[in-house]
Amino acid sequence: MARHRYAYFPGCVTLGSAREVQDAMDGLARILDIELVPLKGASCCGAGVMKQANWELQIALNARTFAQAEAQGLDVLTPCASCQGNMSEDFMRLTDDEALRERVNEQLEAISGIRFEGTMKMRHLLHVLVDDIGLDVVATKVKNPIDFPVAGYYGAPMQQEGACGDDDVYDPQYFEQLIEVLGGAAVNYDGRTQSVGFPGLLAEEGSALRMTAAVISDAKSEGAMVMASACPLSHINLDTYQVKAGRVSGEDTDLPVIHLPELVAWALGHDKSRLAYLKTRVLVMGD
Amino acid sequence: MASVSVWIDEGCIVCDACEETYPEVFHVTEDTCFIKAASRTDGNFDTNQFSKSVVKDDIDLEILQEAADGCPVDVIIIETMDGGASEGDASEAPAEVEPEVVAPAAAEVPAAEVSMGGDRSLLVLFGSQSGNSEDLCAKIGKSASTYGLEATVKGMDEIQIGDLAGQMRVLIVCSTWGEGDMPDNAEDLWVAANGDGAPNLAGTHFSICALGDTSYEFYCQCGIDWDVWFEKQGANRVVARVDCDVDYDEMANGWVSEALPHIAAVDGDGVYQEDAVEALKAKAAGGKTAVAAGSAFDIPAVERAELQVNIRVFRYDAVSGESGHDVWACAIPGHLSVTEVLRLLKATEDGSLTFRDGSPDDATTGLLVNGRLILPGRVALADIATTRNGESSLRIDPLPGYDVIRDLVVDHSDYQTHLSASKPWMRGATRGASQLEQGVMGTMEAPLAATLHIAGDIASYQLLHSASDTTPHNRSYVGPAVVARLWARCNDSRLSAAGRASHLEVVQGPNGIKAEADMSSIHRQGRMGAIAALSLLEAKTATLEADGFTGRHGKHVWWFTETVKFSGQLNETTLAGATLGPFGMAKNALTGILPRMALGFTRNGAPMMRDLQALFMPPGSVGKMPKIINSKVDEHHEIVALYNAFDRRF
Repeated sequence: MARHRYAYFPGCVTLGSAREVQDAMDGLARILDIELVPLKGASCCGAGVMKQANWELQIALNARTFAQAEAQGLDVLTPCASCQGNMSEDFMRLTDDEALRERVNEQLEAISGIRFEGTMKMRHLLHVLVDDIGLDVVATKVKNPIDFPVAGYYGAPMQQEGACGDDDVYDPQYFEQLIEVLGGAAVNYDGRTQSVGFPGLLAEEGSALRMTAAVISDAKSEGAMVMASACPLSHINLDTYQVKAGRVSGEDTDLPVIHLPELVAWALGHDKSRLAYLKTRVLVMGD
Repeated sequence: MASVSVWIDEGCIVCDACEETYPEVFHVTEDTCFIKAASRTDGNFDTNQFSKSVVKDDIDLEILQEAADGCPVDVIIIETMDGGASEGDASEAPAEVEPEVVAPAAAEVPAAEVSMGGDRSLLVLFGSQSGNSEDLCAKIGKSASTYGLEATVKGMDEIQIGDLAGQMRVLIVCSTWGEGDMPDNAEDLWVAANGDGAPNLAGTHFSICALGDTSYEFYCQCGIDWDVWFEKQGANRVVARVDCDVDYDEMANGWVSEALPHIAAVDGDGVYQEDAVEALKAKAAGGKTAVAAGSAFDIPAVERAELQVNIRVFRYDAVSGESGHDVWACAIPGHLSVTEVLRLLKATEDGSLTFRDGSPDDATTGLLVNGRLILPGRVALADIATTRNGESSLRIDPLPGYDVIRDLVVDHSDYQTHLSASKPWMRGATRGASQLEQGVMGTMEAPLAATLHIAGDIASYQLLHSASDTTPHNRSYVGPAVVARLWARCNDSRLSAAGRASHLEVVQGPNGIKAEADMSSIHRQGRMGAIAALSLLEAKTATLEADGFTGRHGKHVWWFTETVKFSGQLNETTLAGATLGPFGMAKNALTGILPRMALGFTRNGAPMMRDLQALFMPPGSVGKMPKIINSKVDEHHEIVALYNAFDRRF
């Protein structure tokens, strides 16, 4: 049995347009002796969008996921900061509001035969790496150091009270510490906890793109040569919409953006060719 | 042998220890402990806190004392008939026990001794709608012992009007609700006070703190009414009434620091010994009972260790256009507020440092300190400085989302302009009311009143405006502060239909709640952010429902939720297609979004072929292209059943 076991909640985007996150998660889990126990039948967390239609529905769906993890006696691990923030908020609401919990549990028992008891915890990969695995252990596994300046992007959804482990909500350090351990130079920039407006990307594109551009250009101006995102959803803004963001805002947004799990997995020796391509992009091609 | 009574004070944790020790006397209930009827002379069955009935002769005082000693929270009080009360020894005569503040050793304050003997009871009454008055009274109750008083804190709905007769000392905190309405818990008492059975209060000494809101016509009316009533009934006012606005802390604290020593100066015979007041104040200030930090009395000496701290302060000179951070390494007492730290820097380091100075509650003084939006007068250095590797640091920046005028001073006009354009004032409706003694008064359901109070519990709307990460990038957006204010008012039953329509026009318009790109940036800003985010979410939901989930915002939310029902997972392709429509998708193709999704890995080095495959086999979803059709998750029917249980619209 692996040393660390978690109920794994990849998030919809990891299963959809960001399959590379799953590839990296498999790699780093193998190297760090983490068992990602599948949560069969888990649903989308709502990503802060579904609750705009009906928050109680979103909470009920997440309660089902929590109860599934509790049935296995495991905490939930996710590589997605939006899932982490959103599900942590719903978790806290369920534990704080007894009447809501009873309403949800009544339906869960009738439909799925399970109850939410509040015994599990929501964990993001970043906090698991620092709090559970330990940066000293991660350091011993590094094979291909990330030897250039990296800007870690936390985003706003995860930097909430109760959602970011023992890290500081407003002035976090876990990502920077991890980057240093992986051999990189951590770039400190204001935008690391600011939102890129993912929930508004399709409906408020102008604002979202300017928010995205502000974060990227801030990181670049502080010397970042690559950005790693703790949130696959925000990565869509930061990477896929990057050029458009630059065009709309007039700011310099030309920056390779990868995912946190990729950064870790590649440094630990997983998929050497991807890291080589990235280094070529960063160190040879440049802007 | 002296007669003994035993009672249970506030704070019982229902641990059962006393009942296990002496089951003939104690019975632990769900929320407190009762003294059994068979063990007391009056035959009642309650905590005995108020009647203080004597225990029967056959009660074993040693076991009783054992039970009191074993109480982990010391709420079992044993008292002899001659008035000495203690949590300690029932077998020792406590007649000589006196509050420490009048210990004979205090020879320098003889006047205090006069006032401290005999009956030291104090009734602290609150008339509260949202809990502010109750909180304040709770703090008074805790601090009363500093002046040798034995306080009982009660809501106005917990006493009868006749109970006031015989009370020597009464302090009252009463809020005013709506258009001069009594708080819900004070209404019955007020009616009774103006009825036939109103008592004569010739032997009563009192003082009143009135809480209110200057934006209403009948400001602090209820406190005024009670003040007049007590005087009319013959009671003696020891300290003049104070009327406090919404930010009541400072004034209320001032009142408490005067009212307590004055009411304590009423001696055991009910005579007001005004000469003893100063001595009581001095004794209390040097007394052993320390004032807890964060209480209503936290202004005096709450000292914290000195911090060696590196302070980075944003500087901007509009004339030269230069900006950057100045850094000072200082040793500063940790209990100083951030405002005091800035004053210190300005006085000792750089007189040109510019920031908005003001009282701790001044809503315009907000700053961004170590990533947090705060009112700097309210936050101590030690509570916000980041300490890592033994080094403390403080970074002070102006509020984001506003134009900087100089250094830390920003121009709030972005918020003010949107606020004034939204016409935020109350346009009152004709509504239900009750005929009371002082005239017709409007009424409101308590849950709604509480909800409105919570929604309005925002320390600074200027600060809240700054909490959104969207506002700096969309200056047309009215911002979360304006939306939250208007939405709270929309839920106020006192608002007229025309007023509500006007507010909704702003909230639900294109620059209203729809323009907020991500509420999580607001939600993360502490209690203020959580309150506002909840208001914004309610406003967004109501707006989308009013629109029938049409338009991009509506479709986005609707199809997100719908696709999850279809398969249990979000389908990005369906979501983008339904929200953007064919023209939007085509535009994305032309502006490089779709090609970038297909070829995205080339930016960080993935084999391009992995992504190109997606163009030929889209459902295969290789690379960055999401699936067109999701496969259903296991036990998908459970998800559908949950949808059916919680929202049948989908």
